[in-house]
Amino acid sequence: MTTPTEAMQDWLALEHEAVWLYPVIGARFPQDERATTSFSDHRLTRDRLLARLHATGAAPATPHLAYGKPPASRKAAVAAAKDMESRISAACLALTGVTEGAPRTFAVEELRRAALAALVWGAEPQAFPGLD
Amino acid sequence: MISRRVLLGTGAVVAGVAAALGAAEATHVLDDAAPALGVDPKPEPDPQDDRIVRAAARDQAALLAMIEATAARHPGLELAPFEAIGREHLAAVGGSTATTDVGRVPESARAAVTTLRTAYDKQSRARAAQAAAAVSPALVRVLASMSVGLAQCAVTIGDL
Repeated sequence: MTTPTEAMQDWLALEHEAVWLYPVIGARFPQDERATTSFSDHRLTRDRLLARLHATGAAPATPHLAYGKPPASRKAAVAAAKDMESRISAACLALTGVTEGAPRTFAVEELRRAALAALVWGAEPQAFPGLD
Repeated sequence: MISRRVLLGTGAVVAGVAAALGAAEATHVLDDAAPALGVDPKPEPDPQDDRIVRAAARDQAALLAMIEATAARHPGLELAPFEAIGREHLAAVGGSTATTDVGRVPESARAAVTTLRTAYDKQSRARAAQAAAAVSPALVRVLASMSVGLAQCAVTIGDL
């Protein structure tokens, strides 16, 4: 069974990717303000996760230099953003089931943020965000 | 990503067992009920989870009935996707709209949409609170996911 620390590390790895992705999208499509908002949101979440992991004594997952090729078109950028939020939703949901109290509430709140961000990037509402 | 089929299957079993065991408690045949359902009778569903599932089922049944009544009253609103999501939510917690009483649907389509949005917001918060209180990890995930699915519906329906 996944531990809370492992689930947070999995989530943090995705937040590192998001903090790379959104500036890439923003640089390529500077008129799209969604990228700026998404970057700010994910940088904040990344920092919160780093603080939580440091507090447990764990060595947090580190970021990669890059995460594949930058999206080449607006359509590809939007698809990458929706996919990013979907994977982060899944990571948040995984954490909800292995925690209780404040960490679980934090995971549910961030799951909500990611699911609503997916809508901003054009996703349709789902019955069960975070489940495939 | 967590398998939706497996997790919802678990949630449905929680809901089904909770309902069956509730009936069994009343007739003192608890030990016979679970084998009849084809599940291990031990451990029993946590009583807290039992109460949560029942409450969620009542709420989701009322919400679905409200959506269906609004769709019937205002056929110009494209509510089919919301009805589909409502049916999925209700199936996950094992509820039924058969005996649900629906209040009056506003005559104005705009007012009806506002009423639905308010209901989605309320139910989203309720499922989040239940996710915080639930014991079974599978049930926690189902309720947390339902909560944000309802939040997505609240935002999207406001755009109609």
